[in-house]
Amino acid sequence: MTTTAAHRTYKLGIDVGGTFTDFFLWTSDGEVRGYKTLSTPKDPSVGVLEGIATIARTLSLTPGELARRITTIVHGTTVTTNATLTRRGAKTGLITTQGVRDALEMRRGIREDQYDNHLLNVQPLVPRYLRRAVPGRLDWRGAEVAPLDLAGVREAVTLFRNEGVTAVAICFMNAFVSAAHERAAAEVVRREMPSAFVSVSSEVLPAIRFYNRVSTTTLDAFVGPVLRDYLRSLTSRLLEAGFAGALLIMQSSGGVALPDATARRPAGTLLSGPAAAPRAAAAYARASGFSDCLVVDMGGTSFDASLVRGGQVELKPEGDIARLRIALPMLDIVTIGAGGGSIGRVDSGGLLRMGPESAGADPGPACYGRGGQVPTCTDANVVLGYLDPEYFAGGEMRLDAERARAVVAEHVATPLGLDAERAAVGMYRVISANMAHGVREITVKRGLDPREFPMVVAGGAGALHGCAIASELDIPVVLVPPVASVLCAAGMLLTDQQHDFVRSCIARFSELDPKRLEALVLEMAEQGQGQLRRADVPQDRIEHLVALDLRYLKQYHEVTVPVSLEAVRAGDFGAMLAEFHREHDRLYGYELSTEGTGVELINVRVRSIGHTDKPQLPRIAAGSSDASVALKRRRRAFVPELDRFEDLPVYDGHRLLAGNTIEGPALIERTDTTILVSAAYAARVDDHGTCVVRRRAP
Amino acid sequence: MSEQPIDQVLVSILGRALRAITDEMSVSMERSSRSPILCEARDFVTGLYDADGRMLEQTENLPILSFSLSPVCQHIARKFAGDVYPGDVFFHNDVFSFGNQNNDLAAFKPIFLGETLIGWAACKGHQADIGGAVRGGYNPNAKEVWQEAIRIPAVKVYERGKLRRDVWDLIFANIRLPIVQEDMRAEIGSCTVGERRLRALVEKHGLLRFEAHKRALFDSTRRLMEAEIRSIPNGTYHGESTVYFDGHHPGSRHKIRVTITVEGGHIRFDYAGTDKQTEGFVNGTYTSTASATILTFLQMVSPSIPHNQGMVEPIEIVIPEGTLLNAAYPAATTFGNHLCPPNADAIIRALSPVIPDRVTAGWNQLLCSLSTGHDPRKHDTYVDILFMGLKGGSGATADCDGYDHIGMIDASGGVLDQDYEMFEQMTPHRLVSHEYLVDSAGAGKHRGGLGVETRYVVGGDDTQLVTFGDGDIEPAFGLFGGGDGSLNYIELHTPDGRRSRTTTKDHLHGVPAGTLYVQQAGGGGGYGPAQERPAEIVAREVRDEIVSAPAARDLYAVAVDPVTFAVDHHETARLRAKRT
Repeated sequence: MTTTAAHRTYKLGIDVGGTFTDFFLWTSDGEVRGYKTLSTPKDPSVGVLEGIATIARTLSLTPGELARRITTIVHGTTVTTNATLTRRGAKTGLITTQGVRDALEMRRGIREDQYDNHLLNVQPLVPRYLRRAVPGRLDWRGAEVAPLDLAGVREAVTLFRNEGVTAVAICFMNAFVSAAHERAAAEVVRREMPSAFVSVSSEVLPAIRFYNRVSTTTLDAFVGPVLRDYLRSLTSRLLEAGFAGALLIMQSSGGVALPDATARRPAGTLLSGPAAAPRAAAAYARASGFSDCLVVDMGGTSFDASLVRGGQVELKPEGDIARLRIALPMLDIVTIGAGGGSIGRVDSGGLLRMGPESAGADPGPACYGRGGQVPTCTDANVVLGYLDPEYFAGGEMRLDAERARAVVAEHVATPLGLDAERAAVGMYRVISANMAHGVREITVKRGLDPREFPMVVAGGAGALHGCAIASELDIPVVLVPPVASVLCAAGMLLTDQQHDFVRSCIARFSELDPKRLEALVLEMAEQGQGQLRRADVPQDRIEHLVALDLRYLKQYHEVTVPVSLEAVRAGDFGAMLAEFHREHDRLYGYELSTEGTGVELINVRVRSIGHTDKPQLPRIAAGSSDASVALKRRRRAFVPELDRFEDLPVYDGHRLLAGNTIEGPALIERTDTTILVSAAYAARVDDHGTCVVRRRAP
Repeated sequence: MSEQPIDQVLVSILGRALRAITDEMSVSMERSSRSPILCEARDFVTGLYDADGRMLEQTENLPILSFSLSPVCQHIARKFAGDVYPGDVFFHNDVFSFGNQNNDLAAFKPIFLGETLIGWAACKGHQADIGGAVRGGYNPNAKEVWQEAIRIPAVKVYERGKLRRDVWDLIFANIRLPIVQEDMRAEIGSCTVGERRLRALVEKHGLLRFEAHKRALFDSTRRLMEAEIRSIPNGTYHGESTVYFDGHHPGSRHKIRVTITVEGGHIRFDYAGTDKQTEGFVNGTYTSTASATILTFLQMVSPSIPHNQGMVEPIEIVIPEGTLLNAAYPAATTFGNHLCPPNADAIIRALSPVIPDRVTAGWNQLLCSLSTGHDPRKHDTYVDILFMGLKGGSGATADCDGYDHIGMIDASGGVLDQDYEMFEQMTPHRLVSHEYLVDSAGAGKHRGGLGVETRYVVGGDDTQLVTFGDGDIEPAFGLFGGGDGSLNYIELHTPDGRRSRTTTKDHLHGVPAGTLYVQQAGGGGGYGPAQERPAEIVAREVRDEIVSAPAARDLYAVAVDPVTFAVDHHETARLRAKRT
């Protein structure tokens, strides 16, 4: 059913990146379209509004007309990420237990590179003089050893006010068992510093491990005011423009939440940048007939890899940002320094290295002709004939092929005693191997075999390296969705509302009272229920997922095991244990179910999901297997399997029809990306416009 | 055999792939082991070796354990030549066949492709107990190895995938704590992970191609190391340091002497002239000393050199038998790993005049304690090494401050504090404080890393405390005008009101519950004259309470306003003028 132009409504996904802001527009009659505009890092909401104006022009609407017809905006922002990386968060104070005020800075005493005596520790987000320790202590089970010294709290507040502190983190020892002292301190701070942003560890992360909690809570406070101000600015600009729909904000856990809820737990957005891409990848993979997939997104400086299993994106309970611990659930996305801008060089031992240094967007690769003097991955791809200097970004930008060749020759070919083309081959292979290593991190490192998954390739540069990464890891199928270059923005429209909760509950599993477990789960579920209902999610679209962090007695690290709400209600511990043994065996190669070893529960987790309405993926027109209509020309390019250059057919990706097949080696050009179908592969365009690139039978 | 063409790019890829495997082995061990020494502090290493036992790559959380694995692997390969099968697992800890320390019990697993032995996977961790006279394994009264530990020369615990129950039981009948069995299962699991992955890698490239590229990787790495050594002026350099107290004779002192000869791309460390071995357990083994030498030298070269056979080939190490650093059978040697800090001092002193921009000032010497006892909450025995307490500061360098709270140079920030709340769950103790220690860092243009003070209240029953270390007499030394760091000590405040300091090699029984344990780990040495440190940085550190106002004045010649913490420029200029 098509709606008339006058009744057409829109959903918009907006992904603000470092260089570009990506938009993905979904119209009510099923059309999709991607846009890219330059980001405005000073106030990203300016770029968002400019983008909306640009989109409106292409639709022959005024910005106001478009804004009024947008029913939903899902927005991913890196303002908290950038505030952390550049240390431009709020001036933050920390109130903590006497005796442990340095835990935040000590980071448990790690130096990430043991042999580098010039590697400095991370500057803490809160300097020592603003980390105030107050007397008061709870023991390991929450019993009071010493009462909280409220006068000490007030002294800290006085100092904070004098120093212009605008955000306060509160984290006390053993607050994961009892929040009593933290609540009392928070009350004082909130009363005496009413405009300050206050983060309390027992609210942010009521789970055991002091360093994890103090680090996460401090990050939360540090970025809190920044995110709050940004969301205010964005909502008011959107409101002014006429937008009256729902605004949802992307979370690191892969879900979305209302601006209010997001502003209350800002640390939840710290790693939300790449979090939406896997969702779109999963949708396109499913449409192509795969429930599981690997997802790789290759941008200018970084390469993100993740894994979708059973339609779900893998989640991990904690991670790091710029060497600072953040112990909130986040999608398991491995980011490595590999992108189009990655710089190639030869070290003193004669080893060729690519990245992690990047030429970024400025000056960018040498072939951009903006002053880049060193060879990058993109320069190698020009030398290899993969990129058409006349058709980069659909012809909007010309590339200087001679310049690319010259820098590759100077910096890589000469030191290795090769010619420029062989040097470019080496660069291509090394960076592809680096990216393959990133894919290993999220598969092999977790005991999974990458050969069992198709790999969805995203980002402007990704589709040139997809077959190379796949060959390295024996991955049989590569998928390039039609929205590959704005996959993250597209994914935002496919996410659910989601709230994650965790409570520590330390007990021998055999001695655990099923009623206690049930009560904890229900308490968290109720909290999630409340938040989702306030966001107008209908009851029948709400779901609660339960997981337990379990371990063998005396182990220190837990295995997170999903269990059903029914099993919790029924107190069916047998089923939960069986699942734990299975998972331990999968991860570490052994299990102890026959040894009679006790099992211990540490944390209980609940994820409350509000399922949103998701647009259907559009279909494209059908054709035969013959793709010759889309053939544009032939171009000399490198074929990895044959280890030589050949004249390859170049197809116009925008003229391909469903069912078209293309035998490798071939190139498929679209305005936003170029696909290399390598010699050992063949591509078939499916109903949704995805290029399904399969390894041919040998 | 036909000549394999070398693909230099594949060489690079292979280096990465091998490290990815040892990292994965390390994650498996960290996440599934049980003793906090392993899973919280990461006192273990993982590695891969070729069929002849030569190092392919390692993940060295605690480097002092690392460089004995390859010699032991070669020993096993020789000892069991013709008797190694797929599915075999070997254990080894014997310090008289290249083990570094009794507690560091290793698992080795041969890796086969079909019928061909293609390499070995190994994992070695510091076990919570290893038998011998004292729970936890540190016996400062020991005079022979049997008073320290059960000796496990290379033995086969699995043959062709089948557990040799008799051998297993013999070993674990002589080790107190059942979790050691579990942690050895985790070590075997880690080796299994390495076995699967290396086999897949070799299968993918073919054995001949793999072998050829492995040799090329060794060659590239050797050239990298040779280039680093060539950047040191040729010559012969001497350094020495002192080890205090052998555990038996209070006041005893023992000298480490090293002669370093650099010639072309080759470097030789010769310990001739080092004092003879001690009567007690303060003795090194060949590999604990060799590891100490290598890890100290690695901090003076590019950190990006791959860790394989090629890296160690240009390094020659001579350690006369019967000396403090290579004790003769059947000496007690448990303290051997902890001779690394003084050994590092001797090497730094020898090389600092010739490569002043690549050395650090002295690091805080290790002083550590291990508590063990009964936890009435769990009706169970615990063993805990107080890693958070031992973390003093590193020495400063020519262009940056030392690293605060990093701990012994043998780990260099690879082992971690136990998390405070986990500490209170896993032991009956209660933490009172763990904070940077004011004025502990050696002053300097670049100051040393800060030390820490740790206090906890002893809980539970039957508490034994073992101390092992040094640094209570001689502080971390400053370089080129920099000041020394502060000293180490451990003090007990018992409930009867008495305060007593332990010795640095002590074994205390029946420490009463309620005792306050107080430990200071000192700071690292400073580098360059303190009056050259920018006054603003000194003032900021006064405000942060890591430098006291008197120390700012006396050591740095900086006057700081006690209220605003601003630099008093006039007074500072006057103070500094007096110094020059």
